Parts: sequence; C-alpha cells; structure tokens
Amino acid sequence: MTDRLSILVPIRVLEGESVPEGVPELLAHAHVVLLGYHVIPEQTAPGQARMQFEDRATERLDEYEEMFEDAGATVERRLVFTHDGQKTIDRMIAEHDCMAVLVPNATGPVEDVLVPVRGAIGVDRLARVVANVFGDMDADVTLYHVADEDTTDDDIQTLLGGMADRLAEFGMDPSTIETRIDRDQNPLDAIVDVADAFDTVVMGETDPSLSTFVFGMPADQVANRFLGPVFVVQRERAEEDE
Amino acid sequence: MVDQPVDVDAVGENIAGEAPAEEPAAVTDDAVVHDDDVELERTIGLVGGLAIGIGTMIGAGIFVFPGLAAANAGLAATLSFAIGGLIALLVALPTSELATAMPRSGGGYYFISRGMGTAYGAIVGLGLWLGLMFASAFYLVGLGHYASAVFAELNVALPFSPVIGIGLLFGAALTALSIGGTENTAKIQNVVVGVLLVVLTVFLSYGVLDAVGVFGGGTVPEQFFSRGYFPVLTTAALVFTSYLGFAQVATVAGEIKQPGRNLPLAMVGSVLIVTVFYVVTIFVATSAFGADRLGEFGETAMVEVARDFLGLPGAVAILGAGLLATFSSANASILSASRAVYALSRDALLPRKASEVNLRYGTPHIALLSAGGPILVLVATGRVELLAEVASFLHLIMYGLMCIALLVLRRRNPEWYSPSYRVPGYPVVPAVGALASFGLIAFMQPASIGIGIVVMLASYLWYRYYAGDVILKGDI
Repeated sequence: MTDRLSILVPIRVLEGESVPEGVPELLAHAHVVLLGYHVIPEQTAPGQARMQFEDRATERLDEYEEMFEDAGATVERRLVFTHDGQKTIDRMIAEHDCMAVLVPNATGPVEDVLVPVRGAIGVDRLARVVANVFGDMDADVTLYHVADEDTTDDDIQTLLGGMADRLAEFGMDPSTIETRIDRDQNPLDAIVDVADAFDTVVMGETDPSLSTFVFGMPADQVANRFLGPVFVVQRERAEEDE
Repeated sequence: MVDQPVDVDAVGENIAGEAPAEEPAAVTDDAVVHDDDVELERTIGLVGGLAIGIGTMIGAGIFVFPGLAAANAGLAATLSFAIGGLIALLVALPTSELATAMPRSGGGYYFISRGMGTAYGAIVGLGLWLGLMFASAFYLVGLGHYASAVFAELNVALPFSPVIGIGLLFGAALTALSIGGTENTAKIQNVVVGVLLVVLTVFLSYGVLDAVGVFGGGTVPEQFFSRGYFPVLTTAALVFTSYLGFAQVATVAGEIKQPGRNLPLAMVGSVLIVTVFYVVTIFVATSAFGADRLGEFGETAMVEVARDFLGLPGAVAILGAGLLATFSSANASILSASRAVYALSRDALLPRKASEVNLRYGTPHIALLSAGGPILVLVATGRVELLAEVASFLHLIMYGLMCIALLVLRRRNPEWYSPSYRVPGYPVVPAVGALASFGLIAFMQPASIGIGIVVMLASYLWYRYYAGDVILKGDI
C-alpha cells in the first residue's frame, strides 16, 4: 500500500487536549494531517490570541508531530486560531483532501475494528479507509449492519459481501473480515452497544438532513458515546462551483 | 482561492523596547497565514459583516437623532441625513478598495499607517480608539433615555433623572459581559439587527402610507427649509454619528471570509440600507408631528411618533426596539474599540500588555477595560450632542485620511498594493470624499472641534514620546 490516505486529527491544542494513548500507533500507516486549533471568543481578535499563545501551541504540536512520526506515520501540521472550530475543520478536510477525521480517544493495541455499513452509498470510500489504515495491521474487521424490517437477508448479504470484496480488492486478507447483522433496533443505540467490544469504529458521515440538523450527525453521536477512537469517513464533497 | 502576498515590513521599536509584531506571509479567502503554517481563520460572512455595520449605525440615526435633528433643521433634516449618507458612501467606496487590498484587522488605522506612515497612523489609531469611546458613551446615554422612557411609560415617577445612572449601569455591565462572556454574541447581533429591520420596515411603511394620506390623515407639508439653509449642514455634522458603523466592518477585516467580495458589499450595503431607513424615518416623523413638536420630544421622539400612529402597542414596540438598537450599537463600539487597542499594541504604538488575553475567558480584558473605563466617565457628562460630534470628528479625520491614503497608494502604485475591488470614479470619488469629510467638520460646534483637536495633538505627542522609532509605512 503505497498511497497513504490523509486522515485529519483535530486537537484543541491549548485546552489540555493531547494525543491520547494508542492513537499514534492507530495511524501508523496513514498520512496524518495534524490540526492544532484554538477556539477563541468573538471579543478577541484571532491575531491577539496568536501573539500570546503561538509559542506554547507550537511547542505542543512539535511534541505531537514527533509522536506520530515515531509510530510510522507521515505528518503534515497546521495551527489555526479561530472563532469557529467546525469551519476550520471543514476547511482542513477540503484543503488536504482528507478521507476521514479521527475523533481521538485513547485505545490499546487495535485488534478488533467495527465498521458499521449503512448503505451502498459511500462504501467505496469506507473500504479504502479501512484497508489503508488497518490493512497492514493484525486486526480483525467486523462489517456491521442494522437492518430494518423491509430489508431481506439477500439485500444485506449483497451489501456486506460487496464491501468485503472491495476490502479484498484493496489488499486485505479476507479471513480477517467478519460480518454481523442485527435487526429491528435503533441503529445508533445498536452501534454504540456493539462497539463496546471493539477497539475502534470506522463509519461514514451521513448526508445532512433535518434530523441530522436537529440531533446532530450520527457519527458524532457515536463518537460522543463510544469511549474509543472513531474514524468519521467523509462523504464525497461535490466540486464547488466558483 | 486568491493568495495575496503581503509585503509590508513594520520595523523599529518603542520606548519599552517592543517591536511591531511581524506581518503575515499571505492572506487568503479563508485565513490570514503567518509563517510556520500558523493561520487565523476568517469566520465572519456577509450577513455578519452587514450586521456589524447596520447594528452599529441604526441605533443612533433612528432612535436618538430624529427629535434633535428636527429641532435644528426642521423638515430639511431629511436632507441632512441624505448628505450624511452621501458622504459616508463617498468614503465607504474608497475604504472598500483599501480593505480588499489590506484585509487585516485594525481598519482605517491599518490602511493609513501602511499608506501614509506611523505619525498619521498613530493620530488615526489613537483617535479611533477614543472616538469609539465617545461613540459608545453617546449610545449609552441614548440607551439611558430609552430606559427612562420605559419608567415614564409605567408611570413610575422618579425624584431624579435616571438617564445617566442607567447609562453608567449598562456601560459597566457591557464591559463586564465582554470580558466574562463567551456566548456567541455575533449570532445574537445578527438576530437583533434582523428584528430591528423588520420592526422598522413595518412601522415606516405604515408611516409613509399615513403621511401621503392613504389613511385619511394626510398632513399638510410644512415649509422644507423652515430653519434656513445653514442648519441643514450643521445638522448633517451632528447626525453623522449615525454613519460611523461601516468603518467598524473594516476593523474586523482580518476576520471576514472572502474579503474581496464581502468587505465592499458589507460596507457599501450597510451605508445604503441605513441611509434609506434614516431618510424615511425623518420624513415620517416630521410629517406626523411637524418639526417643532418633534423637537420637544428630544431623544425619544420616535416613541411619540409610534404612539401617534399605532397607539400604545406601537410605542411599546419602538421603546423595545430603541433599547435593543442603542444597546447593540454600544456593544459593537466597545468591541471595536478593543480591536483598535489590539491593532495599536500589535504595532507597538501601545504597550503589548494592552492586548493581553486572559487565560480564564480568553478575552482581552485590558483592552476592554481601557475602553469601558473612560466610557463611563464620558457617559457621566450626559452631553449627547457633544459626545456625538466628537465621535464624528475623530472618525471624519480618519475618513478623510483614508481617502488621501488611497490617492497616495494609487499614485505610487507599490507592488504589494493589488486591491480586488477598485473604487469607481477615481480620482474624483476619493478626492470629493476627503474634501467632504474634512468640510463637514467645519460645521460642528466649536467645543467639539476643540476637544477633537486636543485628542489629535495628544495622540501625536504620545507617538513621538512612545514610539517615535516605529516605522509602519509600506514600501512605496
């Protein structure tokens, strides 16, 4: 696997957030875009915060960069002072063409990876991230689908089978791939429950809709409730028109 | 994405041995980029920019000045507001060009110090900081008048006039809020401005229809120049405080997204919008009561106008709107003043300590206090017209110099100067803008002019004493 995928690791660098244990090892085979950012209130000009905090932030980022490099990752880093953390993260995703964002939480050595697969859309990107990050690790991947009543077993097999084929295409050993299906549950609760037995979760971002607007993105909700690291695979961004 | 290199070197050091902070390596649509991949995110969109401009301006022009202006100039106060709007527009256009060429925080101060040198920069920068204090104090006194009107409405008789006390109270509260609050005030500001525009549009539409006789109550038009021609100009000078807000958009130029597009739209747009609102407001107000009676109502004349049209609900709506508007104007000005302190301290014209950010709230407490403290003193004077004129004076000096800075930059045409928006009608527009800005000062009261000149002199002496060796001028 020569082409490393860019994974964004956003860290609130001045608020005591650091790179948790196990995360550098987790990303050993990725190209890490290390984003140190600091959110400041509107009363403060970003430049004002920079004058005061740049040195301290740079020092910490140096340290983190070294951790990732020691683990084997290639690293690119940015330091941003912002009023709006989300906007900064979105911009970094676009500028660095990041396939996924890691919500960094501590983990031990990764042996079991949970990959909830929602539907056929975005399967390709999901598979590429899983294969790239975990392909050269000794980890078992479980493809997981929470089906609703109308979905037949055949449909699910087509979906997860297709995903497994894709992973094999990208060079993963098919014997490390398992599938698991649950029915008639709230997908979100089910994913969080099942995830307990896993070391990390890789899931796709959902298209924004009214319910994601009200309740937040499912991926973010899982990240909030699951204690380990979560990879949020970004949906394909349409080329922006000028 | 436009990647504009910045090639202005600020050198020298001040009396305390501090050098100006280094200039950024480049500015893009989304961030200001310094060396070592450190970036300052741009987060204010077009709506945010318009809200800053309109929010700062509308409090004064509609809710404080109509009565005062009508007393001075009669129905022709409409013309005074139109003149003010025209001058503001003549300055907003060149300011837009400068802002797109140098989309950095600090606004007019930044353009002038880079275009014309440190001495002019210091006079404008320190003047802007003090000017914003005068403006904030003016809005706070206006707020005090509205709050007092609420008491009057509730028939609570107070043995003393609560205007100044309330102004002081809100001044202190606003300063404390800016230091300790980390709420998302920009979103609130957007909503406040939206609500204000809706309330005013409804009210003014009714007023216009009434004035032209649709509801049968058409008024006899009185003589337009009932006070003569000269008061039209002195009134224009007085009410110019209603047009100071567009420059506040430039003070946060470093934080505006897609500055090449959004800065000109926000500045010119906010001036055009408020001018229309002002002119219609004065027209409606004077046609409801006639200039004489309107003048008697003073600062809260709009409440009486609303009562005349819509009864008690109208009066209550305008009272609420007036409180909101003056509050948001005062708030915006305090924040701008703190930005001005930051820009000055970044360039070593004020101690670096002045822009320090506190660790607990992440807010610039010293800059905010150095704006909030003097504001209270100014509020205590309670002199609405004087505060307004001094604020206008200091801003007009900056406006005139910005126009001149544009002329200078265009003539020398340095390599780093490549604005994405170019002022139409060059060189006439900036030249007329400069003349009009300086010309309007001549129509102010002598006391205001005196205070303004003292502030400018003091600023210059401070620069000579504190930062005589600092060179900020771009390579031209």
